[in-house]
This record gives sequence, structure tokens and C-alpha cells, in this order.
Amino acid sequence: MTSRTVFLNFVRFFFLIALQVLILNHINLGGYVNPYFYVYFILLLPFATPKWMLLVASFALGMGIDLFTNTIGLNAAACVIMAFARPFVISRISSGPESLIGDTPSLRNQGMSWFLYYSISLVMIHHFSLFYLEVFRLGEFFSTFVRVLLSSTFTVMLIMVSEYLFFSKEK
Amino acid sequence: MRNLFLFLRKQYFYILFLLLEVLSLVLLFNYNEFQGSALYSLSSGFTGSVNAIFSNITEYFSLRATNKVLVEEMAKVHSRMPEAFYKNDTATFFRKDPLLIMEFKYISAKVISNSTNKRNNFLMINKGRLHGIENHMGVIIGNRIVGQVVSVSTHFSWIMSMLNKDSRISGKFKKNNQLVNVEWNGGSYRTGQIREIPKHIVMVKGDTIITSGNSDIFPEGFLIGTVSGFTIAQDENFNFGNILFSTDFNSLGYVEVIVDLMRMEKEKLKTSFKTQ
Repeated sequence: MTSRTVFLNFVRFFFLIALQVLILNHINLGGYVNPYFYVYFILLLPFATPKWMLLVASFALGMGIDLFTNTIGLNAAACVIMAFARPFVISRISSGPESLIGDTPSLRNQGMSWFLYYSISLVMIHHFSLFYLEVFRLGEFFSTFVRVLLSSTFTVMLIMVSEYLFFSKEK
Repeated sequence: MRNLFLFLRKQYFYILFLLLEVLSLVLLFNYNEFQGSALYSLSSGFTGSVNAIFSNITEYFSLRATNKVLVEEMAKVHSRMPEAFYKNDTATFFRKDPLLIMEFKYISAKVISNSTNKRNNFLMINKGRLHGIENHMGVIIGNRIVGQVVSVSTHFSWIMSMLNKDSRISGKFKKNNQLVNVEWNGGSYRTGQIREIPKHIVMVKGDTIITSGNSDIFPEGFLIGTVSGFTIAQDENFNFGNILFSTDFNSLGYVEVIVDLMRMEKEKLKTSFKTQ
């Protein structure tokens, strides 16, 4: 990992937190659907990131969001679960470590179906944990499930759009 | 011992995961229990001022609308003046007492962060302990209710909106004073739910629900909403229904916090009865 990659990820970390708390948290479609686009940071961490770093960075990311929304621990818990799942998802959908092209997961390097599978499954894991931890009540199981599905769709759409916007011409 | 270290090294990913996850959950559940925790006052200073700066910028976009609301609010405040007083009917017995003693005071404050899209929604306002705000005070906008204060720092207050699973407002039908509980079960931020309506009460669409004054949080008579639909339960003792909130939670600019000047007296009365 070069120092440029580290720097880039640092900038992305703060930029995504600012974007989330200042703009995206104020968006609500149909009353209660809103995107948690900041998890894009966890998706874009380089393949070579040490596993402990993955967990700690995700914890810090969630905590950063939590400080602004006064839900200490909520986003952090969901992010840590997502970071934990990341290596398993990657090894499941790739044929081996040597088959991964490039430093970071991207639509351009890994292809459409790989990246879709990767982002949808991790975003779903994150949103599922986040929404159910927030509600913490089984009585609202189905209405929460609908919210998970709608918000995940929204988040994944934003991720795909930014993949096309920012990463399609790199290198 | 060596085996233990080997084990730790081999499984560190799982162990670190468990540690961080447990830490998050402990923070989450402890924090929710003790709203005024140290972590909150540490963070609210910084995040509060970031929110304040952002709100200062976005405020300009809604100046015209805010002005209109303010003028309307002024008219309402003027017309509400007599209601802010405690009517002292005992004048015939205590001739020296003044006829009117102030019971409620209203502190206006600006909303600097707000949400309607979560299952549990909160607002932050730009006034706090310094301005006399305390926990459990009610928050209104005009003559419509917003929520209650759940945490106070020096310059900011954290308000649990009615759009929260822990929010329960004691309301009543304006037409016949029948008590109901008002809750919000998620979904659209425009509609809330009323429960525990006795079977014999005849409801009509459009019935007004106001605060009952039974809780110590809101005085009587503030608007909660109007009945938009109801279900006659067959096998239970109570009916339930939906209401359209009078408050538009998505466009809160300036709100007012209710200070009950006689709260100490009321609480003292309650506890003195308990200790007897």
C-alpha cells in the first residue's frame, strides 16, 4: 500500500462522513427511505488492507457518523459487522487472490456482476444490522424489512452511479 | 501459555471483531439508557457547532417562509397570552392574592438538526441549560406539539420528536374529553396512531385530538392531530385509529420550549402524598 493510497482513503473517510451527515441524512424519499452511502468507504478499502485495520477503520467510520446523529454505537456496530463480512464475501465470489486485478475493488477492474454482488450483499448486511438494531423490536419485522430493502436499493444505486462517474476512466 | 498466544494470533480477526462489536453494542445500549452521558456532552460541543454552521447556511434558503411563520406565530402568541396564566379563582377567599399568576413560560429556539426518516427521530435546538431548559420539558411550534426535551448541554438541547418509538403523548378528544394515547409506529411522518379508545366512544373522521394536560409535559389544549381513519376491533375492548399530525415535522424552523413555573410545586405535592 503506497502512502498515496493511505492519503486517498483518509480524504475519502472524512468526505463521506461530511456528505452523509450534512446532505444525505436530510434526504428522505416517501417519508422514510434514506441512503447510507458512507459505507462506500468500506467497499473501496484496498484488497491488501490488513484485517485488523479493516475492522478498526470501519468502527471509526461508524463512530464518526454516530457522533453527529447522537446514536453512539449504532452505526459503529453495523459497520463492524459489514467489515467482518467483507473478506468472506470477497473470497466467496472470487476464484482466488491472484484473480483480483488492481488494488481496490472497482466496477472497472472486477466487472459488473462481481461488483454488483459484492456491493449488494455487503450493503444489505450493513442496512439489515443498522435498521434492526435501531428498531430492536420483532413486532415491526416486516415494515423494517421493507425499509431495509428500499434503502439498500437506494444506496447501491448511488454507489453504482459514483463508480461510473469517478472510476471508469482511472489509469 | 504459548498455545494461547498462538491461538490469539491465529484467530485475532474473530476476536477483534467480537471486541469491537461488543464495545459498539455496550455503547449503544448504555447510551440510550443514560441520555446525558459524558460521551454526549463531549461530542455535542463539536458536532453541535458543525450542525449550527451548516444550519446557518441553509437558513437563508427558507427566510421568506420563516418570516411568514414568525408573523403568524406573533399573532398566535398575542392571542394566547391569557392562557399562559394560572387563573386564581380563590380570590374571594384570599383577597390579597393577585388575580393572575404566571404558570407557563415559553422559550423560543431554532432547530439546527432534525430528521423524519428514522424509526427514532430527534431534533437539536440552539438553546440549552444556559437558557433555562431542563429535561422533560415539552416542545411546541405555534399551538401544535413537537416533542419533549430528553437531554440538555450548556448551549444545545436534544429533543425526542413525536416520531419516535418511545414517544407516548397523552391526548384527548376535543369534543368529549375522552383520553387516548398517541403513538407513532413508523411509516409516514404525517400519520400517527391512537390507541385505547373505549368502545362506546363514537369517532368521526376529522375529530380533533388535543393534549390532555394529564402529563407534566404539555399543558392542556395543544393540537396533536385529526382523526383520519379508525378500526372497530371485534374481539378487543378498545378501538384504535390513525391521525393526521397537525405538525409538519419536516419543516420545523423555530420552536418553543414550555417551562412550567409551577412544576416544583406540583412534584412536591405528588411526593408528599407518596411519603405519607
